[in-house]
Amino acid sequence: MSDTPTPSQPRPFRRWLDRLPQWAGPLAALMLLVIYTVAHEFLRGGGLAFLRPENLINIVYQWSFVGIIAIGMTLAMTLGGIDLSVGSLVAFIGGLGIWVMNTVITAPGIIQSVRESAEIGITPDYGAFRAAMAHAFVSIGVGGSEAWGAAAGMAVMLVVGPLAGLLHGVLIAKGRISPLIVTLGGLAAYRSLAQSLVDGGEFRSSSPVIFGYLGQGGIPLFGGLRLPYPVIFFALAAVAAYVLLNRTRYGRYVTAIGCNERAAVYSAIPVGRIKMLTYTLVGLASAVSALLVSSRMNSVSSGQTGLFYELDAIAAVVVGGTRMRGGAGTIAGTVIGVLMLGVIGNMLNMLDAPVYLQGLVKGVVIVAAVLVQRRDGRES
Amino acid sequence: MSVAADASNPLIAVRGIVKDFAATRALDGVNLDIRAGEVLGLVGENGAGKSTLMKVLGGIETPTAGSVSIDGHIMNLRGPADAQRLGIAMIHQELNLVDELTVADNIFLGRERVHVGAGRWFVDRAVTRAGAWKWLAEISADIDPDTPVKRLSIAQKQMVEIARALSCDARVLIMDEPTAVLTARETTALLAEVRRLRGRGVAIVYISHLLGEVLGVCDRVVVLRDGRLVTVVTPGELGTGHVAEARLASLMVGREMADHFPPREPSRPGVVLEVKGLSVAGRVEEAGFTLHDGEILGFAGLIGAGRTELAEGIVGLRRVAFSDGGGITLSGKPLKIGDVRDSVEAGIAYLSEDRKGHGLVLGMGVAENTTLAALRGFCRPLIDRGAEEVVTAEYVRALSIRVGGLRDRIDTLSGGNQQKIALAKWLQTGPKVLILDEPTRGVDIGAKEEIYRHIQMLTRRGVSCIVISSELNELLGLCHRVIVMRRGRIAATLDGAAATEEGVMYHAAGVGATDAMGDA
Repeated sequence: MSDTPTPSQPRPFRRWLDRLPQWAGPLAALMLLVIYTVAHEFLRGGGLAFLRPENLINIVYQWSFVGIIAIGMTLAMTLGGIDLSVGSLVAFIGGLGIWVMNTVITAPGIIQSVRESAEIGITPDYGAFRAAMAHAFVSIGVGGSEAWGAAAGMAVMLVVGPLAGLLHGVLIAKGRISPLIVTLGGLAAYRSLAQSLVDGGEFRSSSPVIFGYLGQGGIPLFGGLRLPYPVIFFALAAVAAYVLLNRTRYGRYVTAIGCNERAAVYSAIPVGRIKMLTYTLVGLASAVSALLVSSRMNSVSSGQTGLFYELDAIAAVVVGGTRMRGGAGTIAGTVIGVLMLGVIGNMLNMLDAPVYLQGLVKGVVIVAAVLVQRRDGRES
Repeated sequence: MSVAADASNPLIAVRGIVKDFAATRALDGVNLDIRAGEVLGLVGENGAGKSTLMKVLGGIETPTAGSVSIDGHIMNLRGPADAQRLGIAMIHQELNLVDELTVADNIFLGRERVHVGAGRWFVDRAVTRAGAWKWLAEISADIDPDTPVKRLSIAQKQMVEIARALSCDARVLIMDEPTAVLTARETTALLAEVRRLRGRGVAIVYISHLLGEVLGVCDRVVVLRDGRLVTVVTPGELGTGHVAEARLASLMVGREMADHFPPREPSRPGVVLEVKGLSVAGRVEEAGFTLHDGEILGFAGLIGAGRTELAEGIVGLRRVAFSDGGGITLSGKPLKIGDVRDSVEAGIAYLSEDRKGHGLVLGMGVAENTTLAALRGFCRPLIDRGAEEVVTAEYVRALSIRVGGLRDRIDTLSGGNQQKIALAKWLQTGPKVLILDEPTRGVDIGAKEEIYRHIQMLTRRGVSCIVISSELNELLGLCHRVIVMRRGRIAATLDGAAATEEGVMYHAAGVGATDAMGDA
């Protein structure tokens, strides 16, 4: 009753610090990093290559694929969960999409090849399933069309990603398995699936023009610069997730569950549904990322694409100020975290740091950023 | 009474302790002596500074100013380990035992008994067990040292904590609300143990909201208010029985205490909620009762009698079974069973007994908690934060909740104010039936009165209430009828003249066990 605040000597700086938003620390760190890079370059007498618009756009472009996943990861981690499967899922979804797209585009060729193999009595290059698909595509009139192929491939990605996420969500919410375990399983399984589809090789797109459009194109800006579509998708994802997390019932529930799941259950919150929805959204983020990254390369390497995306995404989220234990997530922080990882890599390149030591610097920055953010024993 | 109490040479002398938290002064120049062989009561409302003072003594908080001397030497306590070394042991409300370890392992946790010589890296099980036996026997606790702690009752866990404290050569034992979660019988046993420890020359600092208990067991009682020490009294100075309690209570709040309970209004004849033949596996057997319109129905019983489980079963938080012809009807309509969201939708709200664990989301703000169970009403489709704040401000005013800002984190509020927010959260769902489980546990007297008044007011507005409580006078003062549960069954329904403390205890404990309850 009597928590009467008897004003003692005020400590204005401390109080001012406490009132700052969660992402203020990461932003300050990012600015320091930028200032350091620029100063270093300047003192070395080189031009200010870092600050050139194409360099800055390029940093965001390169990291927007991880960035989109980090946005989804922020939701999962605010919920008190995690998703380790995202990187493998990117390879699997991207590969599967290209595989479907190629089947559409090369359907007439597949049919012909299978027929010829049968005539001379050798084993066909394509399995019965793929041949049947090719027949189906030809019969509905899309076989051989690059545009239809690209559309089908992208549609498959955007459907399979959320479905995989939903599967995780069901296992976590209904099966009561820890998210770490479920998605660790996914981490192993999806990459293995991707690799088995192409015997560990690459999915090469058969679409010379159309499929690469989203990943490689962009909106023209001034002076010959372009704002790449992946950057726009990253921004849209961030805005959407910000509104979702801060201004909707869903977001409020995610935070409540992350803080205190029991209390959420007792408050008649549909905890299971919220969890399933959240992992589905992470799956959607992985799908969008897979679509853009496979479009950008016009191929997917079953062993390399999406490798360590989960770790980069988690690093960005944590550096951004979202708590590992859940209950406090910040989308703005995650965006800053992504930019920080991008700037570190770019800066080290520009400073000619040894390639093999770049991981060390990244690791130190991640841990240091989280250490600095610990306020009043609120661990991150 | 206290044989070894030595007024001239205090074991611990606290001088001029000040403790600030940011802008809040939790302790303001407290002077206090703790003497060997005495039971020192510590009372005050929530937020008066009891816990902070104890944390300073336990080395958990460092005071902003002032000193703590032990045996006449000023000590700089830098952590709980320092305090423990100097013989100060704390038994927290939330017990600090490792559930998965055995009793013996817990007693020697951090001071493991190891083999000698080459085996010193390994725990000596036999010595550990024998040591545990010795200390448990010392406090005549009949507990097997090999039992995993998770299988013990709360009372037994407390005994393990006491044994651990003694095994550390504790000279001062600080007990924070030790009886809050004990049954009457367990309380009697604990108080007897406290008296025995005093006889051995241990100083005991006894913190409790239950003033009768404090007056019964303590040699001196320290009253804190707003971080200041108001007075130190001996129970004898205050008189006896309820007079003494009332005097102590008015010292705590700084004014005369009015009657706790506002007058009841008669309930209306219509039946709002009818429960028939409800069972919860292993907890509740075939319970049935009716709740009338505007009624306040009390549920009494010992801990573990199945009251909370019954309530959780009704609202769909637990799996329930019904005997033939059983079921739940709300305003004449059958209630869909088994989903808490359906129950809330239908108009039944359940305020959990575990405020921090189940009731509130401590990491979130005041407004966020207030609207959590009825958030749909604030979505258009984005959350209307303005409307949220208007509604929250209304509750803050109506329930006289003390908050800084409406978006402040709820863990910055005191227990009583938190409880009022939890109540507001359920009121916002517009319930027809409100089930309140221990609505005033850990809540100070002022807030208690306000909660009682508000419950009364709700019944006038057509809300019917069920109150589950372990405080008998609360049930008897507040409720129209009191249902007594025993071992999962409804043992009796008492109203009018039959509703007395003796009557309730008789049914709660079962025939022949009433005398064991005497001390409660």
